[in-house]
Amino acid sequence: MKGKDKILSTLDKMVKQSKADHTEAVYIGGESGLTRYANSTIHQNVSELNSKVYFRTALGKKIGVASTNSLDENNLKKALASALEIAKNQKDNPYFDSLPPKADYRKIDTYIEETAKFSPLERAERVQKIFEMARPYKLDVAGSFTTGEVEIGVANSRGVVCYQGLTSSAINIIAMSDTSSGYSDALSRDVDEIDVDDLAEAAIKKCLDSRNPKEVEPGEYTVILEPVAVGCLMEWLGYIAFGSKPFLEGTSFIAGNVGKKMMGENITIYDDGNDPSGIAFPFDFEGVPKRKVTFVEKGIAKEVVFNTIDANQGKTKSTGHSLTPDSSEGGFALNVFIQGGNSSLEKMIQSTEKGILITRFHYINGYLDTRVALMTGMTRDGTFWIENGKVKHGIKNLRFTESMTKAFSNVVALSKERKIVNVWWGDVGCTVTPAMLIKNFKFTGKTEF
Amino acid sequence: MEELIKQTIEYLKKKGVDYADLRQIKKEQEDIKVKNKNVETISRSEDQGFGIRVIANGAWGFASSSVINEEEMKRIAEKAVEIAKASAITKKEDVKLSEVEPYKDKFSSKFKTDPMSVSLDKKIELLVKCSEILMKDKRIKVAETGMNSVRTRKFFASTEGAFIEQNIVECGAGMTAMAADGKDVQKRSYPNSFGGDYAMRGYEFIESLKLVDNAERVRVEAIALLGAESCPDTITDIIIAGNQMALQVHESCGHPTELDRVLGTEISLAGGSFMTLDKLNKLKYGSDKVSIVADATLEGGLGSFGYDDEGVKAQKSYLIKNGLFVGYQTSRETAVVLNQTSNGTMRAEGWNRIPLIRMTNINLEPGEWKLEDLIADTKKGLFLDINKSWSIDDKRLNFQFGLEIAWEIKNGKLGKIYKNPVYTGITPQFWNSCDAVCNKNHWHVWGVPNCGKGEPMQVMHVAHGTAPARFKNVKVGVSK
Repeated sequence: MKGKDKILSTLDKMVKQSKADHTEAVYIGGESGLTRYANSTIHQNVSELNSKVYFRTALGKKIGVASTNSLDENNLKKALASALEIAKNQKDNPYFDSLPPKADYRKIDTYIEETAKFSPLERAERVQKIFEMARPYKLDVAGSFTTGEVEIGVANSRGVVCYQGLTSSAINIIAMSDTSSGYSDALSRDVDEIDVDDLAEAAIKKCLDSRNPKEVEPGEYTVILEPVAVGCLMEWLGYIAFGSKPFLEGTSFIAGNVGKKMMGENITIYDDGNDPSGIAFPFDFEGVPKRKVTFVEKGIAKEVVFNTIDANQGKTKSTGHSLTPDSSEGGFALNVFIQGGNSSLEKMIQSTEKGILITRFHYINGYLDTRVALMTGMTRDGTFWIENGKVKHGIKNLRFTESMTKAFSNVVALSKERKIVNVWWGDVGCTVTPAMLIKNFKFTGKTEF
Repeated sequence: MEELIKQTIEYLKKKGVDYADLRQIKKEQEDIKVKNKNVETISRSEDQGFGIRVIANGAWGFASSSVINEEEMKRIAEKAVEIAKASAITKKEDVKLSEVEPYKDKFSSKFKTDPMSVSLDKKIELLVKCSEILMKDKRIKVAETGMNSVRTRKFFASTEGAFIEQNIVECGAGMTAMAADGKDVQKRSYPNSFGGDYAMRGYEFIESLKLVDNAERVRVEAIALLGAESCPDTITDIIIAGNQMALQVHESCGHPTELDRVLGTEISLAGGSFMTLDKLNKLKYGSDKVSIVADATLEGGLGSFGYDDEGVKAQKSYLIKNGLFVGYQTSRETAVVLNQTSNGTMRAEGWNRIPLIRMTNINLEPGEWKLEDLIADTKKGLFLDINKSWSIDDKRLNFQFGLEIAWEIKNGKLGKIYKNPVYTGITPQFWNSCDAVCNKNHWHVWGVPNCGKGEPMQVMHVAHGTAPARFKNVKVGVSK
């Protein structure tokens, strides 16, 4: 860990050296380890120490961005000069006025020393425990287990100075028999909050319960989506609906529909980077404090997240959702929550006469028709037939092709309990989702396992 | 740098490891994006570091760092050994590697003009000009053009005596026009969607794309799609354009023939494969028109190189021959399972990632047909162009692809256009329905710069040489 003072003084020094009208410096760096396993043995065990400094410079409205992963002063100066050189050769960006001003952000503790120090041997020992739990059932297990620390610093020529030290730990477990598989996962800032025994037990149970799956024909069914399955859908809504880019380009279902009912009254979806019940990260990569943004409130489309440049285009203010300076994605929601209901997974199963219980989805694609959030994807690692309020047996995996504005208008119940679901940006965010009971969910294909 | 690498290899030998290799990589990138005639982003990045992979106590360990000096190389070497020893507590058997000649060599990709040396003005002018043509109609709401250039220098050294330097230059460009009329949104891209087309070539490749010449057609077709009927749900014959054939090969042949996937080591993310060991040399994967090779020797292909990241020389090998499944993409470790040596497909995204089996240039060999003859030979069907969405199950059987546009084929002629075409199938059934592949005049190597695999995620540059091909009785749409 380099520490707040060293990072911010390095960034500040570079910003002060810059000859541009506006200069921003962003540091992202850390050390992480990942243990990957399959066939009940570790086949990959890796460690990485890396850091990156981005410079965004502006000459009037001309912007240049350059980055380096070397903290050597000469290389930092070279990157800063490169950003300036690009700006000189740029054309005006009509939506750039200035970098954001200094603002206070919430102080949140996001660093757990035990997670940062967790060793490869400790990861291997916990993974070994999973193998031991699966062995009596003659199941193979696969998955990955990661621990690490990241530091993020932002400074700019308008006085922004932000720093956050973060740790995270994530695990996924897939138990496998010849005919079935079962999945569980967890994400936390604190490695000791990850209960490997519970997670292994859940994956093993799903695998055993779904052995010798039966075939179900595609069609419309009542489905119960476990939180991970809901999280998979939310991740895609983040790409195609909740950000400033799809909103301004008119491809999001929210664009042109603000104030209109787009989902059921029981659906409220929001982003909250300050909520420690998720994976909180209180400012964005421009140093703008995160504010809570509600995308859908009781079914009504409300707003999206913005970075500074897109906010200027949209004649609004940044919500604190910029990505790194090299990104052209605009504002992006990193901490998506769905408000829970008053049901539970057990109650949903008990209330279902005929339906399908889905653990998670695989390989979703949401580019089919983004205006209605039409997505396709496969079920995976634990798909079950429910009959007369009970889980009867496993079924072979199905392909869904469904509009999420339609599906989220057909939600009958949401669980009170919500789960943190891992995303690939798990150091700085997650989705927090309940289980959902949805009627008339459309499956359009099937596979052979 | 060479001396530092050699010293570290010697240090690892003294530590008594079973095996070790070290890769030191420096990568420079430039990314330009123009949106609606305005330059949205120009960014340059420089990234360097090294990674050390060891086998100690019969198990793998890997550690990497962006700090390059003698002390850090020793620290990382020791860390890799420590990690390997941690891995070893769960091992079932010792890791074995197939033999490879320890090459001492240098490889440089061929190019006329280094894309990084071309002035920003010239690149911006090209992209803005395309954007201006795309924006000539008010119904085009978003016009995106972009260009990416990469220059990589990498060293590979191993305790077996290999020392290889490779210098690779890559670039690509493309455009997309999005049309909207308040009711619908449609898009057309050129030369391909999601960034365009890429190659291991110089700026001459960008110029060969003739972006400006194609911009007007892209605009006209995007607007025409707004008024087009939705593609009907049906079962019909389809002719798939080469760009989409590239993705079809990628998802349904490239990934399932990666032997690490087959052996289960990708389960935690992308899944396994239906092409299991028992099916090798037995599975009738496709019709006799279908032959697919993995060819890392193809000059200019985005999946080409001199040596893979285990120091194995670039090769060409058959995966599918006249419809029969005959081979996998392998590594030194996985090849042992087949009593073979590696066919050289192990690559890592960068210095901080461990090599995995990655597609090289996975190519569908050309057939005999002229495209116009193939269309003339099709009584009823659809011609499908440029991918819009993709999804496939975790054993690579059930797939569904969405396209930007379809043309009706009626009595051997292209007719009206349809929007939102989708086709779906089961991999071996689908490839067995292939009755024609177009000839070498229609064959093109499509660069795919965004193939994802592994944890931590690694995005790899791969390519697919393909020509348009016809498939019989394919399910189109999702209702029937």
